[in-house]
Formats: sequence, C-alpha cells, structure tokens
Amino acid sequence: MNALMILTLILFGLMVAIGGMKGLRSFIALFINFFVILLMTLMMIDQNANPVYLALAACVVISAVTLFFINESNVKTKTAFLATVLTTLLLVIFIQFMVEFVMVGGFSDEEVEGLTIYNFYVGINFVQVMASVVMMSTIGAVVDEAISISSPMYEIHRHHPDMSVKELFDSGMRIGRDLLGTSANTLFFAFFGGYLALLVRFKDFSYSFGQMLNAKVFSAEMVTILAAGIGVALIVPVTSILTAYILVRQQHKNKESTR
Amino acid sequence: MRFLHKKWRGASIVAVSFIVIFTGLLVFTQHNQSFYEDPIAEVKETTVVDEAEQTIDGEAVDTVYTQEIEAILKNGEHIGETITLINDYADSGVYHPEFTEGDQLFVTYDQTDNELTGDVIHVKRDHQLVWLSGLFLLVLIAVGKRRGVLAGVSLMVNILIISYALDVYIATQNISLLVIMSVAVVLMTAFSLLLISGFTYQTYAAITATILGTFSLMAITLSVLLLTDYQGLRFEEMDFLTRPPQAVFMAGVLIGALGAVMDVAVTIASTLFSLADKNRNISNRDLKQSGLEVGKDIMGTMTNILFFAYVSGAIPALLVYFSNGAPLGFTLSMNLSLELTRALAGGIGIVLTIPISLYTTIYFINRKRVSV
Repeated sequence: MNALMILTLILFGLMVAIGGMKGLRSFIALFINFFVILLMTLMMIDQNANPVYLALAACVVISAVTLFFINESNVKTKTAFLATVLTTLLLVIFIQFMVEFVMVGGFSDEEVEGLTIYNFYVGINFVQVMASVVMMSTIGAVVDEAISISSPMYEIHRHHPDMSVKELFDSGMRIGRDLLGTSANTLFFAFFGGYLALLVRFKDFSYSFGQMLNAKVFSAEMVTILAAGIGVALIVPVTSILTAYILVRQQHKNKESTR
Repeated sequence: MRFLHKKWRGASIVAVSFIVIFTGLLVFTQHNQSFYEDPIAEVKETTVVDEAEQTIDGEAVDTVYTQEIEAILKNGEHIGETITLINDYADSGVYHPEFTEGDQLFVTYDQTDNELTGDVIHVKRDHQLVWLSGLFLLVLIAVGKRRGVLAGVSLMVNILIISYALDVYIATQNISLLVIMSVAVVLMTAFSLLLISGFTYQTYAAITATILGTFSLMAITLSVLLLTDYQGLRFEEMDFLTRPPQAVFMAGVLIGALGAVMDVAVTIASTLFSLADKNRNISNRDLKQSGLEVGKDIMGTMTNILFFAYVSGAIPALLVYFSNGAPLGFTLSMNLSLELTRALAGGIGIVLTIPISLYTTIYFINRKRVSV
C-alpha cells in the first residue's frame, strides 16, 4: 500500500471516529470536491471554454456540496451559500485585475524547467487559468467563514427576534472580525507550507531581496496570498448584510401571516 | 488633536501613517532602479515583427508573436541609452506577456557596433506589488478594524520568522530542517495566538493544543511516510532543489497545517471558555459534549480549506499534461501526490486537534477555577 492510501485511511478513520455521521459526510464531501476540480480541469482543456466561468461554476457547486451536503439545507446554509456566490463574483473581478496588473499569468521560468518535454501552446488562456487558480485556492476559506458568521447570527436572531437589520448586521460584523484573523492565518500558513521549497531555492541560489520580489513565481504567490486576504475580508460584510436582511424580512413575513 | 475623540485619534494615526508609508513606497518603487544591480529598461515602442501559428495535429490553437521593443535603460553604465529587445508572447499568455509602453523590465544586454541589444528576463513587479499590498491592507483594516491591523502584523512577523529559520538552516547545514521548523512552529503559535487573545488561560489552552496537535500530525505523517518509504510520492516537481526534497517537503507539511490547527484550537478553546464563564457550575462532561459538537461542525469546512489551497495550485500543470495527451493516472500522481499528502496530513492534524483541544481546554478551565 502506498503512503497516500494509508494517510487517506487514517483521515477517514479519524473523521468517522470523532465526527460520526457528520464526519463521514465531511469525508465524502472531500471526495466529491476532488472530482469537481478534476472535472473542471478537464473541461478547461476545451479551447472555447472560458476558464474563469468554469471556475465560477465549480465554486458554486463546491460551496453547495460543502454547505448543503455536510450540513443541511436551512436558512443558515442558504444565506451562507448566497453570500459565498456573491463574494466569489466580487472577488473574481479583483483577482483578474490583480493577475493582469502584476503580469503573473502563465508559467514562470522555474515551473517551465520541470515541464520541458511538453508543448505549452495548447490554446488555453493561461492568464485566466491563473485567475481561476487564485479563486479556487480561496473558496474553502470563504465558505467556512460564511457559515461561521451566518450560523451564530441566526442564533442571535432567534434569542432576540426584535433586533433591527442594522443591529443584526453589526453583530455579524463583530463575529466576522473575530474570525478574520484566524481564517487569514489558516490560508497564509497553508500557502507558506506550499511555497517553502521555493523559498529554500531562492535562499540557496542567494537571490537578493529585489530579485526574489520581482520573480514571477514569487509575485504570483504574493498575488494569491493578497487575494485570499481580500477574499476572507470581503465575505464578512457580504454575509452580515445578507443574513441580517433575510432574517428580518422573514420575521416580518411571519408576523404578517400570524396576524 | 484635542478635539478628536480618543477612539478617532487612534484611527487617524493609523490612517495618516498608512497613507504616508504607501505613498512613500509607491514613489520609491517608481524610482528605485539604481538600487538594483541587474539592468532595468523601460519600454518606449513596440512593433510585432513576426507571428507564427501553433498547431496541434494540423489544427491552429495559438499564435506566438515576436515583438521588437525599443526601451531606455534606467540604471547601470548605459543609463539613458536605447536598447533593442526581443520578446515572444502568445495569445494564450502561457509564458511571457505582451509588453506595452511604460512597462519596466529586467534585461540582459550585449553591445555590438555601438548598438545595445538584449533579452527580457522578467518584469519589474515591485511597484505593482506595493499597490496590491496597500489594497489588501485597506480592505483588511476597513472590514476588520483593529483585528485587520493585527492580521497584517501577524502575517508579516510570521514571514520574518520563517525566513529567519530558513537562513539558519542554510547557514548551519548540520541542523535538521525539521528541528529548526519545529522551533519556528512553537514561536509562531505563541506569537499568533497571544496576538489574538492576549495573556489569558484561554490562550494558553489554545497554544498547548496547537503544539500537541501539530506534533501528533507530524509523528503520524512521518511514520507513514518512513514505513512506506515515501511510496506513491513523486518528488520530481521538487527537482529544482539542491538538497534532499523529503526534509523540505515535511517541513512544508508542518508549516502548512499550522494555521488550520491553530484555527481549530482557538475555536474550541473560546467556545468552552465562554460556556464556562456563563455557567460556572457546568460539568466537564457537558463541556466535552458541546466542544465535540463544535468540532464536528468545523471538521468538514476546515479540511476543505487546506484541500483547496493545495490542490488548486496544480491546475495549470494538469492542463499542460492533459493537453499533451498524458495518461490520467500518471498526470495525477506526478502533479498531485505531494499536494494531496499535504492536504491529508493537514486534515489528520485538524481532526486530531479536536479531542486534543477539548482535553487541554477543560484542564485549563479547571485550573482557572482553582486559581480564582
């Protein structure tokens, strides 16, 4: 048995042992999401397909799987879903601008080294692929934050049904602010872990700070980190306003119907 | 600023220093060419001199253009002189971008018959990165206020710790990278968590749980990898390293999971402490039950975060392999084996940290009760 299979089995065992049925569903969701990424990548090979639209569609499916399959379909997950989709749309505009502005689309010299036996001119727009990669890297954290904000807001509203949209929004922002630091940290460390080999290379070849900063591969990673930070920040007001508005409107409807 | 409310005074100090620092950096990166040793040139005029269609099986898929660039050198002994550069770019943007007037480029040059010609190495990106960092901090602070500032500070300090740890590793050679990174992990955990919730029992519980969680993930992953002799892991993508890739990879696994493990530990510690504060007589059993429920809730989304952060990066390489007709199994194992290992190891760390932080937090809650 190879290492990957054993690690998969250990993760499966732990998730079921500690999480029970929910753990099992979380594990299956990981698999579904893997196939969504794979399918999206296979569809990107078609030269007529727009990679960014494909990534947007994949993000919608992924957030639906994560929210509705692991949890269940209710007001909390529905507003979190809506907030995720809206934030993803906002974010993709930022990301496309960033990728083009810093000119980090396509492959760097370092990455090309390992791919020399292949033909690169395959008709796929790699600037858009880069934007899709940045967005997909962030989607997990955005979904996580959306549900972590909408769920306690729902509880607050349940205990204090007379809170106004403004008051609910403020409490959502407070919750979001507390989450912001740890969510950003989760992503930052994940990226550092992935880039460690590259940093060792830069240090080994004694790149100067300036050489490192301007290198395409380093800038591309900076763009990913900065876009991820913007993503986990943007989801906070978007989720707060949506959840506050939907909960209060629902409350009004309920009142009218009981009258 | 006596007329300003205390709260606004702090905010305006942050705003003013932000504007001053970023305006300074923007102006500096616009004019810092003389600080670079490598030659830099600014594009003045471009003309496309050649274009070639790229075909696969006779079908046109892409066009590669050759552009001739007139540029002015901005530093070095030929400062102010015109240089002629050649750049190839494709419609697909797969490698070099198309350059336009105003772009600043790092170049190499040759002098023949009083004429300077050369090649483009890469784009000067420092100015653009300053703009984006400014935008990033602006959004972070606008949304998070004080928390946003702290997130920015924590990012910078952690980068410095990792960078310093790598310097130590490269300078000493004989200390294992894993040992150095373990020390860095402890430092970064303590720093990041103290920054979030200060010197409280809750922070101590989170720090202890994070460290225990990270090192158990480390022990499990390392033993699996050693027992299977790294079977199934393709280190080819780390071939560019001049050192054994296994050690660098394991250090990356450790650092990569740290943020997620911290997140789990903080979530559980803060939930249990607020429960214990609200109800002083709550039993350990009830605390454990509530903590476990929270753990179940976050398990799925947390493992997803790491999964996407790692697997997404492989998409461009996957596309090149697939488009060249490489078989599915080979493509996946070449490009995803390391990413999936990272994600799985991180997931194991996340799930393990749930019970670990339950017990450490309850231990610290009881200590707090005794001490109060």
